[in-house]
Amino acid sequence: MQRRTYALLLALLLRWCAWAQEANLRLPLEPRSVRFAVIGDSGTGEHAQYEVAERMELYRQKVHFDFVIMLGDNIYGGHRAHDYKKKFELPYHTLLDAGVKFYASLGNHDDPDERLYKPFNMGGQRYYTFNKGDAQFFVLDSNYMDPTQLSWVEENLQKSKAKWKIAYFHHPLYSNGRTHGPDLDLRTRLRPLFQEYGVNAVFSGHEHVYERVRPEDSIYYFILGNSGKLMTHDFRSSEGMEKGFDTDQSFMLVEIADDKLYFQTISRRGQTIDYGSVDRHTQSDSVSTIH
Amino acid sequence: MIRIPNTILLGTAAALVLVPGLPLPTNGQTSSQDAAVVKDFESRVTQYLELRRKEAGTHPRPTNSPEKIIESQQDLALKVKGFRSDAKQGDIFTAEIAEYFRRQIAATLGGPQGHKIRASLRHAEPVHGLSLQVNQPYPQGIPLQSTPPTLLLNLPTLPKELEYRIIGHNLVLHDLAPNIIVDFFTNAIPSTKE
Repeated sequence: MQRRTYALLLALLLRWCAWAQEANLRLPLEPRSVRFAVIGDSGTGEHAQYEVAERMELYRQKVHFDFVIMLGDNIYGGHRAHDYKKKFELPYHTLLDAGVKFYASLGNHDDPDERLYKPFNMGGQRYYTFNKGDAQFFVLDSNYMDPTQLSWVEENLQKSKAKWKIAYFHHPLYSNGRTHGPDLDLRTRLRPLFQEYGVNAVFSGHEHVYERVRPEDSIYYFILGNSGKLMTHDFRSSEGMEKGFDTDQSFMLVEIADDKLYFQTISRRGQTIDYGSVDRHTQSDSVSTIH
Repeated sequence: MIRIPNTILLGTAAALVLVPGLPLPTNGQTSSQDAAVVKDFESRVTQYLELRRKEAGTHPRPTNSPEKIIESQQDLALKVKGFRSDAKQGDIFTAEIAEYFRRQIAATLGGPQGHKIRASLRHAEPVHGLSLQVNQPYPQGIPLQSTPPTLLLNLPTLPKELEYRIIGHNLVLHDLAPNIIVDFFTNAIPSTKE
């Protein structure tokens, strides 16, 4: 009898959790939209990374995102076969088993040989581009932005016909984090290109926090460097920050539907810490809003 | 209307001031001696790379197996050590070439972007205290300091297989596939004046 009561209570609890999860969702889930998750500085192999991964799987069941972008520091520390397992394959195995693809960029803790690891979908290149629906993604290697890569960025942005242009790489151009701060020299080189060729959103990691920066030139900058690592209470006070979160690990969900990009940032414990939508801007129309 | 990429425009403009792969003008004049030094550097790099490709090979195709990636890297490194067992510091960064690089770097850091480059270096988890040795692997688990783009614009451009790495005040020539330190020279990054 007592066992039955426990089973019933457990079933009710699970149902409540599922309901809470659903109620928590801030994405419209429009038909034929592009949906993906974002993680950064994830590859610690520690418990918190696994918990974030479990939370992502819960949301995948509802959101049905089919790819994840990785903002670098995918594997911290050693790069033996065991590290690839412990810091990537095991934590994300339910996502991988469900056919979710991961597209990695390289951070300063990554071995450049990660580009040869097929599950990272880098095609053997340190920087590359791929398309999903209306969006084109430009995955850069901010560790080594040499003239060859800069020319590649410009050529590929210029010839892109995509409605949405999204760039991601490890080192942030803007940041209110205390530990690292923005990469000013990288900003000098990349910002004019992003502005000129109509990049809509930029995602970076490196700083072990979540931050949504006030848009610059109608470009939205997000930092998500806390999907594994975490640097608590690490913000400088700044007017440039629209939203910051530095007390738990987190990941992002993004949905692109026509002229809107919706985002929701969720903590390891399931709290929605930020959400909103961004209107697509073109080079002539520079209106973007967070609702 | 034909759009000319900014990097090309920048490059053309820079030709009057700073051209990647060519020496910085000294007192308004390009030194032919510097051009010869750069040519010498490029030829040493090409020679190394051709030999490495011939004797050791290149990196493998993308694979699902991390073991294969690691084995291939170790195998390449072993072969490189084998065919250049007598390699020593200064084989590529000769005294003249190192001096030329030091001047380029100092001029770039002393230029209008200097403070931004230094800030980028400070914020990129600088690596100090590593003992460097030619033909030895870049140690695993140590973060890679990002190399500021403006600095790279003012150094000779390397083939894709190689890269410059800053470690402390040293500049390293790093071969990616075998993860080997090909050569390095000291005091590349001048200390900040207090």
